[in-house]
This record gives sequence, C-alpha cells and structure tokens, in this order.
Amino acid sequence: MMKKLSGARIVIEALIQENVKVIFGYPGGAVLPIYDELFKQNKIRHILVRHEQAAVHAAEGYARSTGKVGVVLVTSGPGATNTVTGLTDAMMDSVPVVCISGQVPTHMIGNDAFQEADIVGITRPCTKHNYLVKEISKLAESIHSAFHIAKNGRPGPVLVDIPKDIQTFETKYGGKKHTKSFAFYKPNTKPSLDTIVKFVNLLEKSKKPIFYVGGGVINSGSRASLYLKKLLKITGFPCTQTLMGLGATPTSDDQFIGMLGMHGTYEANLSMNKSDLMICIGARFDDRITGKVSGFSPKSKKVHLDIDASSFNKSVNVDLLIQGDLSKILEMTLKYIENKRISFSKEKISTWWIQINKWRAKNCLNYKNSRSIIKPQYALQRLDFLTNHLDPFITTEVGQHQMWAAQFLTFNKPKHWMTSGGLGTMGYGLPAAMGVQIAHPKDLVIDVAGEASILMNIQEMSTIKQYRLPVKIFILNNHYMGMVRQWQELLHGNRLSESYMDSLPDFVKLAESFGATGLRVSKPGEMDDLIKEMIKIKGPVICDVVVDPKENCFPMIPSGSTHDQMLLGPNDKLEGEISEEGMVLV
Amino acid sequence: MTESHSKHILSIMVDNEPGVLARIVGLFSGRGYNIESLSVSEVDSDRFLSRVTVVTSGTKNIIDQIKAQVRKLIPVHNLIDITELKSFIGKELILMKLDIKQKSVLNIHKHIKNIGAKILFEDKTVIIIEFSGTPNEISGLIKKMKVYNIVELTRSGLVSMALGKDYIRR
Repeated sequence: MMKKLSGARIVIEALIQENVKVIFGYPGGAVLPIYDELFKQNKIRHILVRHEQAAVHAAEGYARSTGKVGVVLVTSGPGATNTVTGLTDAMMDSVPVVCISGQVPTHMIGNDAFQEADIVGITRPCTKHNYLVKEISKLAESIHSAFHIAKNGRPGPVLVDIPKDIQTFETKYGGKKHTKSFAFYKPNTKPSLDTIVKFVNLLEKSKKPIFYVGGGVINSGSRASLYLKKLLKITGFPCTQTLMGLGATPTSDDQFIGMLGMHGTYEANLSMNKSDLMICIGARFDDRITGKVSGFSPKSKKVHLDIDASSFNKSVNVDLLIQGDLSKILEMTLKYIENKRISFSKEKISTWWIQINKWRAKNCLNYKNSRSIIKPQYALQRLDFLTNHLDPFITTEVGQHQMWAAQFLTFNKPKHWMTSGGLGTMGYGLPAAMGVQIAHPKDLVIDVAGEASILMNIQEMSTIKQYRLPVKIFILNNHYMGMVRQWQELLHGNRLSESYMDSLPDFVKLAESFGATGLRVSKPGEMDDLIKEMIKIKGPVICDVVVDPKENCFPMIPSGSTHDQMLLGPNDKLEGEISEEGMVLV
Repeated sequence: MTESHSKHILSIMVDNEPGVLARIVGLFSGRGYNIESLSVSEVDSDRFLSRVTVVTSGTKNIIDQIKAQVRKLIPVHNLIDITELKSFIGKELILMKLDIKQKSVLNIHKHIKNIGAKILFEDKTVIIIEFSGTPNEISGLIKKMKVYNIVELTRSGLVSMALGKDYIRR
C-alpha cells in the first residue's frame, strides 16, 4: 500500500526522483510547507540566495556547467516576479531550468490576495512551458513533465506554480515510474538519412566552406562536441563560434578562426561573408551574428543543423535544413562519410585557407598597450595566460568586458563558459558563478565583470560568504557602462548621457565586509602578481582592476552594417553616417 | 521586398486545458502576427481535445514561422494548414436581431426565406435570424439586411475542414 503524502512532501520526493542535488531559492509565506519538508530531509541541498533573480542565474550556471537541470524554489508574488528576468535569460539561451513557485491557495486565486501574482500568465512567453497545479492529483505529473520538457528538445525553463493548499493536501505518490503521461512531449531528434547524404554532398563540393557553430552543440552534450571535432579534423574546414558556442570545440585549435558577429574577428566575419558553403550547427542567425541580413554571406549555400524547427528560415533562408539532435546528426554524418570512404582533399580548400590566413594576419584583436595604464585586453590576456592550465570556469556580466573575455580567453572544453547571450542580462555573472562553484567546488571559477554590471546583483556576496564559495570576481573597472559609452561615442555625438558610474563603492572594502579578499591593481606591471595571488587565495576574491576608462571594443560591425564593413580600431571611421535603419537597431 | 501576403487557415488540435488559448493568442501578439479570425471549442470530450481555427496572413516565411512556433507549444498536438490542401470549406455563423416595428412582416419573411436564413425568434418588435456561410456570404448578408434596422449582430470565427479524404489527426 502506498502511503499518502502531502503535496509539499511529494514535491521533495519528486525532486529526489529527478536526481536533484541542489536547489537555489528563497522562502516566503506561500512555500513554507515545501521549506518545512526541505528541513526534514538531507538529500537535497538548498542554497539560500539574496534575490530570486540570482536564484535563477545560479541555477543557469549550475545547469550550463553540468548539463543537468537547474532548480529554483521561490515564493508567490514578488518572489515569483523576481524570477522573470532569470527565466527570460534561460529561455533565450536555451538553459534547462525548473522553477517551482508557491501560489496563494486555490480559493484565493483571482482575489488580489496578499502576495498574489498571476505568474503563470506573466511567464507564459518567457518559459518553454508552465503549470498551475490546481489539483493535488496533477502535482507529481506536473513536476516530472517539467523536468522532461526542460531538458528534452531545445532546452528551456519550465515553471510549476503550486498553490499553498495543494502543498498541504494529501495523495498517494508511487514515484516517477508510476506517474502517468509525464513524457508525452517527444520532439523529433532523428534526422532523415537523405538530408545527411545531401549535406555530405555539399561538404564535398565546397571550395570555401565555413563551420558556424553555436551553443546548440554544447546543449546536445559532450558527444556532439566530440563528433564535431572529428568532422573538423576530417574536413580541414575553418570553424567560427558564436558567443554561446565558445568552447564547443577547443578555441586553441588551429582551424578555429575566432568568434564571429558584431565583435567577432576580422577573419571570422570575412570568411562568413565570402564563403561558398556555410554550415550552421546549433546556432540561430541572431542579429548580433548576421548584421544587415540583406548583405549577409550573399554567395554561400547555407546548411542549418538544429533541434528546433522554428529556428529554420527565421531570419536567413537556408538551402538545406536538417532537424534533429546534433549529436545524432553529426554521428550519422561521420558514419556516412566513413561508410562511403569519402575523403576531403585539403588541396581544394588551400586557396581558401591562404585567403583566411591573410585576413588573420591583420591581427584584428591587436590593441595599443600601455606601460602606465592597464588596458582591459591586457588584463584578460594575462588572466588567460596565468589560469588557462587550470581550465577555469568563466562567467561574465554583460558589456565590453564580456566581449573582451570572449575575444581574449581560451576555451578548451565545452560547458566552461557561461555568459548571457540572448537577453544580455547585466548582473548575470556573479550568481551564475555561484551556481557553477556549487557544482564544481574544487574548480577555479572566475566572474569576469564590469563595475556597473556587478552592482546589479552584488547582494549575492552574502550568499558567497554563507556557503564559503571561492568565486573569483575579476572586475574590469573603467568607471563607465563601457558598451553604452562606446555606442554613445559612435552613434550619439559623444554625448555620454548617464553612462558614467559615479559613487562606486570601494570594492576592496566591499569584499572585506563580506569576508572576502579585496585586491586592487592599477599598474600594468602589477597585473601578473594580482592574478597569481587571486588564484592562491582559497576563499572568494574581488579583484578591482582599474583599467583605461576610454578603451573601446573592436572589431565592431556597427548596427545595420554587413560583415565586410567592420571597424577595426579607434582610428577606423564609419563610412558616412549610420543609416536610419541602423540607428534604430539595438 | 514585396513578397506577397496570403491568407492561411490553420487548424490546431490542442489539449483543452486552462491557458491553452492564451498560449496561442499570446504567441501571435508577442511575435507580431495577425489574427483575422479565431474560433475554438472542445471537439473530443473523452480525450479533452479542442480544435482551434486561426485565420492569419503573411508572407511564406512568416506563415512557416507561425506554424513552427505554434507546433512548439507543448499542448499542441497537431497543426494543419487547411489552405495548403487541395480543397476545403470554411463557414461562419451569424445571428442578427432586426427591428421590425416599421416594416411589413410578410415582406421580411419572404426576404429571409429567399436568402436562406433561419428565423430563431420573433415577436412584434424584433426578429432574430441565423445564417451560416462563407465569410463573403455573411458580409453580403449584412449588407442586404441594412435595409432593416439591425439592432445587433454577432458572428463566429471561421470553422474549416478539408474536402475529400484529408483530415487533421488527433
């Protein structure tokens, strides 16, 4: 005989069945029964954050660095609405997260009760799916299907809203195995063989190919990365990666020609522009990648490999689309190549490589270093040089520092780079780093931050203190919202409206007040010592790296321009005015 | 670019659960797609399935994107684009209340009979008629009835079905 359990207990039991080890949350009136059950068990660890947005970002960091589902627990009303930015972030970047929110009791719903918010209504467009559990009999099914939906197909966040009375009602729970119909969601993962044949055919014919690799490869799992590495080796084709895709295959590889897009390398963007075959793997032709769509890679045939059918032909029309799980698509492709004994002649693409290497020789990431002031690029180069052997997990906030980190750091493995790509959420990096550190307690976790972004979730220093998380916060402090200032310089006549960061805290003292170590550096000659010391310190560290306040991020494709209209440095002037069409773009 | 816009009738089978219509409608409004007509009702009470008919318009790319996005919604079981099938029928229903105080009842009865509408209710002051037809037929009817004093009218969204063997799977 199955025993009857309370709804709150079923939540915990179901999480245990889903193999959940950690949840990030914040208690409140409408989830007290669940917190009570949490108290009575020791299989799930709860991390108490200081703001619910941070709980979601921490869960994202946990999920992206492990491949598992990140779990969040919050109360109703403000607890739930505070998760909206995090959920939208997870939606845009395809991160599997399950968010459980408390709700006012069922009979109070719709009455404007205390701490009531229609969170299912609010999060409908920013979750992959959501549930309001109105009957105790549907509770277990809702939780298990939430996990199933979050991690299958293109991953994303799922919210389960549980009214307080449902948490106290009792019903039988026979575990996941005996829960009916939670796995009804079955996205197609297997590609058709004839598309694979066509794909290989295009690979064989191309003289100017390029692999354009996105975060989908990382989401598909380590096998996808492995197969892609193999395919790269067999073909000898050049490879560029999106912001989300960095590390899908090692960025130290010689065939890697840098990130592409708005702040991508000269060689990557020009290769995209001039290629005759573009192979998009798990990316989505985002506007940061394409620039002006009408001038995007005009002469190439385009192949798109993706799990999500709604990504096909959304902004750019492609010639061949292959829908399925990337690791399956890549595996089938490799098998077909092997079975048919197809070999790829390096000769055929040798002129292409000569051209690419000419572009490479431009050394587009070059910057004018200084002896008196720290250039942000230099700080990151040194960080990369001194930490790379430790395979650190890197998170970032959003802005110039994020782009420089993407340009100057090396990623040898997938799942080591956590950044807010689609939504561009300032304040993402610190809580994400907490989530990563919880998942990888022994590893080096660095949040590359800006002084503006870090303040958006600085309260999480308290969480870091409580759980003794040795997160290293590497602030490139230029006293500006650097990216905002850069756009104001470029597009708004250098009128720096509200982008100066006045009244900043003393980051060293701030660190100390949370029991962390604070280090400050302002001379290039002291950079290495700072980084070495940062690594040596066992606990959390805030490094206040005072950098050149005027430095801008190049290369840059101004909005509304095409890949071959890149600005390479501060002396590169725009050709004429930016079009009105470009001015309205973000 | 002057890609041509065309009208499409989408038939969507969904779980009949709270919020399912909001998911579909929210998707259209959130992504800036147009809904020209909408009708929804449960069609399978054993399996709690509803059938939603949406009339929308857009370029081929937009229509393809709408279909892909709708298919991604978790409670959506199946979607067919009825306009892409060989032949189909689409009907709307209209109820109309006419003020007949000043008119000859006999003439009205004759007129209604000629049009093929049905009388649902009648007293000394008003008459309510029912008519079903294609959107064009319905619009034509409204025009014709303007000779009377139309007190109010209500028309349903389009419901549609493929002719011949084609049908939407559950």
